[in-house]
Amino acid sequence: MKINFTKEQNIFREEVRSWLEVNVPKKSLLSLDTKEGFEQHREWEKTLNSGNWSMVTWPKEYGGRGLDLIRWLIFEEEYYCAEAPTRVNQNGVFLLGPTLMEFGNHEQKSKFLNAMAAGDHIWSQGWSEPGAGSDMAAIRTTAVLEGDHYKINGQKTWSSRAAYADWTFGLFRTDLESERHRGLSFILVSLDTPGVTIRPIPQLDGEPGFAEIYFDDVIVPRENLLGEDGEGWKIAMATAGFERGLMLRSPARFQQTAAKLLKLYYKNKDQCSPMLQSKVVEAWAESESYALSIYHTASKMLAGGSIGSESSLGKIFWSELDHMMHQTALKILGASAELADSSEHDAAQWIKGFMFSYGGPIYAGTNEIQKNIIAERLLGLPK
Amino acid sequence: MNFNFTEEQLQFKNTLKSFLADECSTNSIRDGWTAKEPFNHDRWNKIADLGVLSSNLPEKDGGFGIDQVALSLMIEEMGYAALPEPVAEQIFLINDLIPLLPDSIKGEIKNTYQTGSNFISVAHPLSPNPLFLNDAAGLLLFNEDSYQFALTEDIDFIPLVSNDPSRGLSKINSIHKSVSSSKEFEKINTAVAARGALMTGCLLIGLAQKMLDLSSLYALDRTQFGKPIGSFQAIKHMLADVAVKIEFARPTIFRAAHSLLDNNPKFALHCAHAKYMSAKAAELACKNSIQAHGAMGYTWEMDLHIFMRKAWSLMACWGNEDKQQDIIFKTLTSSEEELGVLYTF
Repeated sequence: MKINFTKEQNIFREEVRSWLEVNVPKKSLLSLDTKEGFEQHREWEKTLNSGNWSMVTWPKEYGGRGLDLIRWLIFEEEYYCAEAPTRVNQNGVFLLGPTLMEFGNHEQKSKFLNAMAAGDHIWSQGWSEPGAGSDMAAIRTTAVLEGDHYKINGQKTWSSRAAYADWTFGLFRTDLESERHRGLSFILVSLDTPGVTIRPIPQLDGEPGFAEIYFDDVIVPRENLLGEDGEGWKIAMATAGFERGLMLRSPARFQQTAAKLLKLYYKNKDQCSPMLQSKVVEAWAESESYALSIYHTASKMLAGGSIGSESSLGKIFWSELDHMMHQTALKILGASAELADSSEHDAAQWIKGFMFSYGGPIYAGTNEIQKNIIAERLLGLPK
Repeated sequence: MNFNFTEEQLQFKNTLKSFLADECSTNSIRDGWTAKEPFNHDRWNKIADLGVLSSNLPEKDGGFGIDQVALSLMIEEMGYAALPEPVAEQIFLINDLIPLLPDSIKGEIKNTYQTGSNFISVAHPLSPNPLFLNDAAGLLLFNEDSYQFALTEDIDFIPLVSNDPSRGLSKINSIHKSVSSSKEFEKINTAVAARGALMTGCLLIGLAQKMLDLSSLYALDRTQFGKPIGSFQAIKHMLADVAVKIEFARPTIFRAAHSLLDNNPKFALHCAHAKYMSAKAAELACKNSIQAHGAMGYTWEMDLHIFMRKAWSLMACWGNEDKQQDIIFKTLTSSEEELGVLYTF
């Protein structure tokens, strides 16, 4: 054990920092869940790619830099400190990307990873259906193989970013006789395809962060199948593992929120009780613990280990922490905690984050489902 | 940057784990309670023979010179077994502190404890009632602005009753003869308080893990409504919550141990962080474990309370959660610019 950054790692950090200093837009972008803001964020993805920063861990041939997970964590730390824009393509770069790397063939990797890195394909997620939420194995949308293509019929919902995205990935039932998690396949679908209808769903903040996707005889080429026919569940579980475990929520995000919370507390401390001070300490302690744990996990993975059901522990931890921090911020703000005009008040950003933090325990598999996974797979309790 | 353990560090942990599984059964702990002699000298001598008591002394003094990270792994196992003997105290509060002490006191300690086979107890304002003074050869005592070493025979003390019958506590009335010093008091006092926090943190993580394991086994075994109670989500979620707390407390322990090893100037903050997180994990482990056991968890017969009692005591001494929170807050507000995302390591 040697938990210090090496000289090379520090040089890399400097390189990231200098690039971000020059390139991060000085003026914040519009919300990525508006049409104009979405395109601004796509432009930012292109800027990132122009410096080869889309995904530092990917091999060079796919638009990455071939670096390890520790470098990625360093990149993320600098990214959050620079207050760089939210990654509109996080479904792509953080979720589908690692999945393609593990299960994709060479053609799929070169086509999709490069377009993803370039911001040409922005991805949405297509898991849930009206009858398949927490019970994802109840998926009913079908993809029937007809020669060299699949014909898809059905409906997906809660598809993050689908209001404006170019592509979606998800699970479809390819074996119509099958039940539950058997007979599902992992298929990539361009949202331009005839027969696809998108109905955006406004979220708690009023903006369409997710959407329903209707499929009506949608024809998708067979080469858009990832892995083998019927292997979809296994591949989806791997994707979900990346999402919960490491990539979607790197620790820097929460450490940065904790640091802002401390500043907010300091500015308003005359009107705060010791109870709030204790919450501010908790925010620092837990976000720091999360960072330590992720470096621990990254080290294990570098030594050849893999991330399994442990990822469920992390998902519960960061989602609860994020909510607690935003709740505390609003308490510190007192009566101004309802003022939502961001041009005039500190509160607006906290309110936005506060509402978003209610999503954390729900998306990427509800925390109740994660607790079942922990109990059954890590503690050995019966189904 | 490498957050993995070495083979050697894991080997120390595993050797001790299997030793304690054989030698520190809950029956043997209960025997000590019944006899009102919780300190088992036979087991202490075996631990000394195994080399644990001198494990972190330099090789020239008959030890293996192992580092604090390996110690933290070993101490977690002592918590897991609820080991009554003060092995963690000896290796972490005495052995690890010796290099910092002035020669006068260092010499006295070395003469008294004979490469670790004699026990030396410690008292400090954060943990004022020393453990097993009856069984100790001497005492290292911290006051408000000085510290002193005394042989047990020169101390007048009376026994105190701990809520954990495995802990033989004493109240010191007076000390007739001692070697005293105030040299580098701030530095040495911070060093011992941080070690006390980290040591209790390591023990608490082991205890929390043990309580979680006992509860999982019980939930598999006990049936109601025709099923093991562990198949009900109410039980699953309660125990999963404990698993989450333990998972995110554990790395804080290793980081704090590494900071001691690495002479990191923020070691006191890191030790406070470790105790804060592990005390919270242990607190929830106690509450949810007894709940998962139902009325059986509330009995003397069930082994669970052997671990709960130790956890309650260790949460309280060497700075409870509230005290650690205070240390963290003071550090956060005094050097704000050096904490946060860029300063974790």
